[in-house]
Amino acid sequence: MTTSGQESVSPRLMADFMLQREGFRLHVQLAVGVEVLVLFGPSGSGKTTTLNAIAGLITPERGQIVLDGRILFRRDGGSPINVPARQRRIGYVFQHYALFPHLTALQNVAFPLRGAAGQAQARALLERMNLAHLADRYPHELSGGQQQRVAIARALAARPAVLLLDEPFSALDAGMRQHLQIELAAWQQELGLAVIYVTHRLEDAFALGQRLAVMRDGRVEQVGPIEQVFRYPASAQVAQAMGIPNIFRARVIAARADGLVLDWDGLELIAGPQDIAAGTIVTAYVRPEDVKVLYPDRPLVDAIRYNQAAGQIVAGRLVPGGRVLRVRLSNGHEIEVHHGPYTYARLNLQVGDVVQLSLRREALVVFARS
Amino acid sequence: MSWHPLLLSLQVTAAATALMLAVGLPLALLLARRRFRGATLVEALVNLPLVLPPTVVGYYLLLALGRGSPVVELLGWRVLFTWVAAAIASAVVGLPLLVQSARAAIAGVDPALENAARTLGSSEPAVLWRVTLPLARRGILAGLVLAAARALGEFGATLMVAGNIPGRTQTLPLAIYDAVQNRDYAAANRMVLLMTALAFLSLWAVRQFERPRRPASARVSPGEEQRRT
Repeated sequence: MTTSGQESVSPRLMADFMLQREGFRLHVQLAVGVEVLVLFGPSGSGKTTTLNAIAGLITPERGQIVLDGRILFRRDGGSPINVPARQRRIGYVFQHYALFPHLTALQNVAFPLRGAAGQAQARALLERMNLAHLADRYPHELSGGQQQRVAIARALAARPAVLLLDEPFSALDAGMRQHLQIELAAWQQELGLAVIYVTHRLEDAFALGQRLAVMRDGRVEQVGPIEQVFRYPASAQVAQAMGIPNIFRARVIAARADGLVLDWDGLELIAGPQDIAAGTIVTAYVRPEDVKVLYPDRPLVDAIRYNQAAGQIVAGRLVPGGRVLRVRLSNGHEIEVHHGPYTYARLNLQVGDVVQLSLRREALVVFARS
Repeated sequence: MSWHPLLLSLQVTAAATALMLAVGLPLALLLARRRFRGATLVEALVNLPLVLPPTVVGYYLLLALGRGSPVVELLGWRVLFTWVAAAIASAVVGLPLLVQSARAAIAGVDPALENAARTLGSSEPAVLWRVTLPLARRGILAGLVLAAARALGEFGATLMVAGNIPGRTQTLPLAIYDAVQNRDYAAANRMVLLMTALAFLSLWAVRQFERPRRPASARVSPGEEQRRT
């Protein structure tokens, strides 16, 4: 798919609102088209509250929410509007499914429907979810994955324009999760839905989303295609939220034409040229893949000439696609080094070894404002 | 033994139960779902008859239903020393049992379920009717049976507001008192046995309602579990 930024899909749902709860302030700006937008952030960042506000279950202090040109909520200039949840055409799959325990699977799906036609429709939806044989079971007689599919079928039965999913597959095992993610993507395409998918798991974001919105402390920090957000986080917070290790604070010593010189608690580093005044405290990171171990007996190529630091390996663990070493540097901080399975085989690196590292200059990312 | 006290007791209890349901269910909903100023006061007022001596409750009711009370003057009711007064007294005394049980049952309904119904297009009355009340049904019924049993046995407050007029306001508990006073132990025995049987029956019914609907192994929804911890 073609994703060049926030405007890549013409939006169906636009939300821009501010909400205040005791000690917590939420400010959300989102535009969602016919796509799966992954709303990603640590717990407590305001993801569920955002969904509740969009669904009409809580009322923001000000702002507006518009679906396909129809104002669902408005409180800032103009006469205030607040369409009740039942008239918003927004489907909501709650974190713990919220199936009605006193109704069977079929009755749950038929809940928003009426009459014999409704029954038939509910049955058809269950069939689509491969649940027809479980129609007369009660929720407590169903597995987590089955409950989840009933919850989705029920939300779809009301023919929503938007589907909100709150940590939908978090309670399921990996296989079932993957299966349902594929199914969800198919329904989204087929029904032309705008989907907001809330998760705190980065893997979910990669598995499902086309675009990613990173939330932190009640704010949407960055929105964009997932690879782009992951590769070029707009702030230290986003980098942290994306699980990037090796984030540190440093002081700018000098901004020279050939690069920005930093002092990281006694370790002098140079990054690509950037216009930041000397003395500024900045946040910087280097990805573990961009920290190289130097062979003592090999000449240094340009790429790894800079930012050398000695350190001692304090831990190592195998990860998919290689190994991660934790190295304690001379300035007392620890840094992660990720390398492929056969790289450095000749060095036979062991915990306790002292190594010479290079933090690739081009890969040292510096944020002026932390 | 005349059958009149029993029939009158059933009539009074039926009326009191209807009254308690009409007043108690909205009160339980209000206390379970709304945070409002004075909620504690309302709750205390409802529960007061549990701890006050029945004569004190009766005295208040005398004031409320007697001549000169604004309620009575306005509506033109003359209910003192009629079976209606007995029903009102029984309802006031039984009400806290219904409200407590119903409130706990309603508060135990996961609000996420009600929100789910809202997003599925249900109006507020529909949410109440299709989700909240069905899920709280057992607690409400248990409370109602308990309250009805309490109303059936009401003695003190009833005596204060309805008197003990044989054939008019003499309910079963009052008739027992009279029988004992008149040393008619045969009649007292029969009526005491009858009351005891009715009490057992209602306790059995409460047990039936309070027993979990599903086998003990069935788990509550994860949302409920979290809320409880």
